[in-house]
Amino acid sequence: MTQCYILLTTAPNEVPEDTILPKDDFAAVYANAIHGGLDKVLGHSGATAALYHTKMTNNLPDPAEFHRKLLGLFGLEGTLSLERAIVKDLALRLQWSLDLLNIEGSFDFNNTIHAVRSGASV
Amino acid sequence: MMSQVEQVKSLTQVDHLIGTGSGQSDLAETRIASILGLKQFMQGPIRTLLIKGVAGTGKTTVALEILKAAGLGKGAYISSRVPKEMLETHIPAMKETIENQEFLDIRLEDATSVLDFVMQLSQSKKYKTIVFDSWDALAKEMDRSERLRAEKTLMGLAHNSGSQFIFVSEEPGATTMDYLVDGILEVSMLEEQDRAVREFTIHKLRGTRIPQRKYIFTLLEGKFTFFEPYSIPDYSKISEFVQRPDIASSYSLGSGGLDRLFGGMIPGSTLAIEYDENVPYSALRAIEIPPIINFLSMKRSAILLPLPGANDQIMDLVLAKGVDALTIKDRLSILNVLRTSDLKTSNLPKNATPREVHEVLTNETTRLREKSIDKTVLIVKSVSALENLFASDLDSLLEVTSQEIITLQQSHDAHILFLAKDSPIRSRILSMSSSYAKLFVRDGTVLMFGVKPHTDIYALQHLEDPTSPSLTELV
Repeated sequence: MTQCYILLTTAPNEVPEDTILPKDDFAAVYANAIHGGLDKVLGHSGATAALYHTKMTNNLPDPAEFHRKLLGLFGLEGTLSLERAIVKDLALRLQWSLDLLNIEGSFDFNNTIHAVRSGASV
Repeated sequence: MMSQVEQVKSLTQVDHLIGTGSGQSDLAETRIASILGLKQFMQGPIRTLLIKGVAGTGKTTVALEILKAAGLGKGAYISSRVPKEMLETHIPAMKETIENQEFLDIRLEDATSVLDFVMQLSQSKKYKTIVFDSWDALAKEMDRSERLRAEKTLMGLAHNSGSQFIFVSEEPGATTMDYLVDGILEVSMLEEQDRAVREFTIHKLRGTRIPQRKYIFTLLEGKFTFFEPYSIPDYSKISEFVQRPDIASSYSLGSGGLDRLFGGMIPGSTLAIEYDENVPYSALRAIEIPPIINFLSMKRSAILLPLPGANDQIMDLVLAKGVDALTIKDRLSILNVLRTSDLKTSNLPKNATPREVHEVLTNETTRLREKSIDKTVLIVKSVSALENLFASDLDSLLEVTSQEIITLQQSHDAHILFLAKDSPIRSRILSMSSSYAKLFVRDGTVLMFGVKPHTDIYALQHLEDPTSPSLTELV
């Protein structure tokens, strides 16, 4: 089986100026991306159930902790699919071109989210 | 919702105390495989199974049987249709199984809550088998894409947790679930002359060869029992014959199963046994021989015109186990009309007419009557053998057979006629017979029922003795 990984190739200093957000705004976009990404794969019921189950309904998920909880539920491959969906959703919400996401190499959700956050926030 | 969530949490906590299951084995390694007759060929991992069929076909019982077998006491039953108490009332034989599993009543829950329950159940890795009865009740509330995603979520949970998920569905057509699950069993109800016959079909078992797709099963006493294809019995395991006395004023047919089906044979009556071309000879022999042996053991006499293809050695072996050699010599006459040696013994010409055979039979009946304790004789006759012999003169055969039946009605003798389904004189003979039973094969199982009198339908096997029929009611 061929595994696909998303590598964020954009360095923070390459982020377009118009996508840089205040920190609070990034949190809202990130939370929406979590919902949107999970919805895309699990459906509304599955996404809501997964967030409820992982106790991430109210708090902004810590990427590392969220990754571990998803692993427990869906295993490695399932978790990778979900995290890729979340990152894609996040990129779309930040109006980053999907070209910026290169599907090769290893993918680390925690690092990716932190990279996006630091690149997109002021 | 919260109360249910708490309920699930408490269940997982209780299970933690019970112990941890490996959660890694699949359906192929459990008793379900042998129950469904699949063990010998199930090799691939089966994590998700869909049991589908219209209402009343037995899906829930099958699912509970699988849960009992595969769950090894660590199963969960998620019901969207009936509460636990009602389920136990509907299927009393499964009460213990239901009691031994975790039961979640989700009738008033939404899909999100249910998926959360499943996440809790599967993530705990304590529940080896989780049954959804039924998934469609929830799925029907979702639109197509939402349903597909929810189902994918369930598959992901099943494959990651190591639990086996069994989905019960009342949607007979192909649904999105069909493409996602590892295996599909369809349960259906067929009709055979107003009698219900249950059948399950294995549509899919990923990574597994399926040598037989369809099986007959019964829910007798509320338990799921399936029938393997009929197998020729091992005649080396014949047990001693146990004489069965007359049933009030009727003769016993020499078998508990046959007596229960027909209530014995009234003196002067004719029992017609119709069989189709797929019925194995050994199944017919199990109806042909016990009445003869019982008649002889009751010190009466018998005449046999065997079916075409009868095996003399087996016949001798079976008879020898039932009665002594002297009895066979004195009070049993076997006339194989298709065999030249018998024609010579009976002084019949090679081109004997039906009337000449009839005369031989009449003379033999008269001779053996004198040797019978109460002057009664049992005549067991293959109409097929006579049809083969007199293919060009069936009218005469019908004429003498009719005469025999009418004459016999005025005596205390008993008459059993075997005739093929496609016999050209079938309808005439059946109209004159007092009783009429049919044998046929479906999914490799020999089935039997009485048309006259009307009886339920039974599967014929040889569970106790190779020469005797074991009849299991199909309900």
